[in-house]
Amino acid sequence: MGKTVLIVDDSNTMRKIVSRALRQAGIDFDQILEAGDGQEALAVLADNKVDVVLSDINMPNMNGLEFLKAKAEDPAIKDIPVVMISTETGADIINEAKSYGAKGAVKKPFTPELINDTLGPLL
Amino acid sequence: MEYAQQIIAATEEIFSSMIMLDVVAGEPCKRSNETLKSSVSGIIGLTGSSKALLGIHLPNSLAISVTTAFLGMTVEEVDEDVRDAIGELANMLGGSLKTALDPSGSNIQLSMPSVIYGEEYAIDSLANAITVAVPFDLDGKTFMVELQLRKDS
Repeated sequence: MGKTVLIVDDSNTMRKIVSRALRQAGIDFDQILEAGDGQEALAVLADNKVDVVLSDINMPNMNGLEFLKAKAEDPAIKDIPVVMISTETGADIINEAKSYGAKGAVKKPFTPELINDTLGPLL
Repeated sequence: MEYAQQIIAATEEIFSSMIMLDVVAGEPCKRSNETLKSSVSGIIGLTGSSKALLGIHLPNSLAISVTTAFLGMTVEEVDEDVRDAIGELANMLGGSLKTALDPSGSNIQLSMPSVIYGEEYAIDSLANAITVAVPFDLDGKTFMVELQLRKDS
């Protein structure tokens, strides 16, 4: 049975590109949901069963790290795996994301193969 | 010229991996203060131990064709999708440059990208900055990636 993925990025372009990369990676997704920031992502998670989240870090309103912290405090969604997709992949920020529960990080620009290698073990 | 190779490597990687387009770098040069005409520019700032502005400037026709390739759907004018795509290009270029300037990622911060577009506009220079601009050829047209950098420490 296919999975449901949530893509969180304030750029509509990037959400489309990540969607395309997921399809090109051959990962079996039934549904791809989108959110423009962390607040929207929390609302989507409250109303949908999501198997994995791909999230940018730098976003207005609620950024990726704030989203991770808020998600970790909600027992209903805290165990949903999150992978960061961002231009920000310095060791400090990635370690901070992982301390809030992120399972990995993919640096932009990325290839479908890299997406598959990172997401595969989580699904 | 300093940082030209980083600009070339980042631009080539982004265009080939994300957009599947091959760009050809031209000779790096000093920044020009000429006004840009019928163009779209993506600008991103870096602050912290270094202050920088990185910009990518494309003529409208190239911005539209790049966005079409980016999204996998036809775009016909400089609309919200084009502006978003060019902003995202600036974002990725900024991220690559930040990694080159600060591998730890903790001493330099990226701004949110801005997009400027129109029939005629100019972008001022940072005071006391090193500048480098690299022209790129794509399908016989030219776009420019430029960096203005001022190290404060």
